Amino acid sequence: MLKLLIEKELKEIIGSPKFIMMFAISSILILLTFYVGGINYKKNIAQHEAAKLENLRSMEGIKDWRLIEHNIYLPPSILASLVNGISNDIGRNVDMYGRGEIRPHGSVYNENPVYAAFRFLDLTFLFQIVLSLFSILFTYNAVNGEKESGTLRLVFSNSIPRGKYILGKILGSYAALSIPLIIPFLLGCLVLSVLGIQLKGSEWFRLALIINAGILFMGVFITLSVFISSVSRRSANSFLLLLVIWIFVILVIPRAAVLISGRFIDVPPIDELNNKKNAYNRELAETVLNKLKTFKADGNEDLFAQFEKYMEEVNDDKDEKMNSFGSKLDEERKNRQNVQSDLSLTLARISPAAQFSLASSIIAGTSLTLSQEFLSQAKNYQNVFKTFQQEKSGGSSGGGMKMIMVNEGDEPPDIDPTELPEFVYKEANLDSIIVASLGDFGLLIIYTFIFFAGAYMAFRRFDLR
Amino acid sequence: METMNKTAPILEAVNLSKKYEDGMLALNNVSFEVKPGEIFSMLGGNGAGKTTTINIFLNLLEPTSGEAKINGIVTHESPLEAKKNVAFLSENVMLYPEFTALQNIDFFVKLGGKLNYTKSDYQKVLKRVGLQTEAHEKKLKGFSKGMRQKCGIAIAILKDAPAILLDEPTSGLDPKAGHEFVKLLADLRDEGKAILMSTHDIFRAKEISDYVGIMNKGSLVMKKSRAELQGENLEQLYVQFMAGYMDTVA
Repeated sequence: MLKLLIEKELKEIIGSPKFIMMFAISSILILLTFYVGGINYKKNIAQHEAAKLENLRSMEGIKDWRLIEHNIYLPPSILASLVNGISNDIGRNVDMYGRGEIRPHGSVYNENPVYAAFRFLDLTFLFQIVLSLFSILFTYNAVNGEKESGTLRLVFSNSIPRGKYILGKILGSYAALSIPLIIPFLLGCLVLSVLGIQLKGSEWFRLALIINAGILFMGVFITLSVFISSVSRRSANSFLLLLVIWIFVILVIPRAAVLISGRFIDVPPIDELNNKKNAYNRELAETVLNKLKTFKADGNEDLFAQFEKYMEEVNDDKDEKMNSFGSKLDEERKNRQNVQSDLSLTLARISPAAQFSLASSIIAGTSLTLSQEFLSQAKNYQNVFKTFQQEKSGGSSGGGMKMIMVNEGDEPPDIDPTELPEFVYKEANLDSIIVASLGDFGLLIIYTFIFFAGAYMAFRRFDLR
Repeated sequence: METMNKTAPILEAVNLSKKYEDGMLALNNVSFEVKPGEIFSMLGGNGAGKTTTINIFLNLLEPTSGEAKINGIVTHESPLEAKKNVAFLSENVMLYPEFTALQNIDFFVKLGGKLNYTKSDYQKVLKRVGLQTEAHEKKLKGFSKGMRQKCGIAIAILKDAPAILLDEPTSGLDPKAGHEFVKLLADLRDEGKAILMSTHDIFRAKEISDYVGIMNKGSLVMKKSRAELQGENLEQLYVQFMAGYMDTVA
């Protein structure tokens, strides 16, 4: 019986002219997303490699590692090209010295503001806007439409339990609407292969998880639509109501959540923090200069070695103070920002659109933590780089004046830039990604069950005449 | 063609009443029975309670008091079991427009619990009800009301239930289609089906029915057998009952 109801729903949706339209539109958009994502990824990879090469080239001819001030870059990722998250908004470059504060810069949208105006086509947009609307379009009249057309009375002249009928409606719609997704997605994967992009096993798995999250998200809209269609007597009313809900779920709630949390939790602007840090840095630089004036060499030892040691100590002291001051400011801001962020995410998670968006960005590695993660790994690399510099030259770069003594006829050889430790950005491992996204997956499932239960309860009282 | 049918009734209304929440009395203590091989036609104007009676038999409505029984099963107590014994045809048969005639029939017949029919069984019945062969594989959206009605009766035949409920089945059919339909009903009656039909069509009701009832304002104000109607002017009786000149159940 249930199989029959599912099959009927599946055939009815697939046989309708609007299904062909949906299939065509979703296929074009999904394939375009994969194509644009793939092309962008290849372009970003080429730029990334060129930047790394240029970085090494800029070190050619330098004779001391302490003079090296290079860049590290957040590497492009294919999943980030398909689910952008915040990856285009954050700084992807860091000027790397052996000491000092790290500030990422050079975001994609900063460098190409026109992209910021229109944003890239990605899977989040596709599911959130296009496919959720399609779900509504196909199911807004699932129950009341059958009553209006007169088929409901004929169906229930047979021994059909109401629960099975609703379940059949939902599962059949689910299956039918998954077809115009799964086929283009498989073709999209083929597009990536044609573009020469090889995904690792874990990336395939994560991509499958993103698509699953999208299908779950669509399921929320399918069950919601069937629920509203069981509550409302007329299909025109249910369509209008669903459209209003869609606007709230997709556009209003996530934005309102950020506005509300911003209103209640005050976070000092980053510029204010930077001004404070700059002022303190200037103060410390003044101190360093004053200390320089008080430098007195011990006549028995090598002057330059003494000066260098003195400078290293002075700079270390400055760094320590600056780091302590900066860290305190950063931590205070970060704590407030975390509270604000937690509140806005909690509120935003009322919306299934936010749940899907957060789940997919976590899986793609482009969630809100990407910026912090990049900064944290850049800081770790800074320590590696500093140690490397000290091992190679006995001191580190940045933070002030360097005096390097070169005796005539005893010029040191050029450094070998390939010896520079490579910055390798480590993405979160699969287990932690799954754990982090579990909550949002759970919420999507809970919403689906709530709306299914609502549809079932409403249909029990539905006037079938 | 009245028969002395001693067998148990298949369709039975026992003191059936329905009062809506707004206080409107749609059915008032209606009782009748339809035995195998009988056609009972309910005549009456709009709002007389004919469709309400059918809806209670289909458990689309629950009675306020009384019982509707199909094959002895009280419909509001065991609706799923009761509905296994009934086929239904509405005034305006609405099937799925994007399905072909055969797809619609396949779905509704299987829904009725008949899983063993083949495509050729469906085609045979469609031929029997007079639907042209070339229409069998066509989508319903292009069908006329008469063609849809034929699909509906095919579904009812294939369900092979002992009882058939017909809600204004000849309304809007052209005379030829109406005549064919009545012939089919007679065949079904001869096969032993108990048929309850609501209709406005006095002439067809008199032509085909074993019993005719007149309903007015929720009450069954007249019930006469074919024999009792011989020599009576049913139209005149109907007008008199509807106008309230007569108010007794015969």
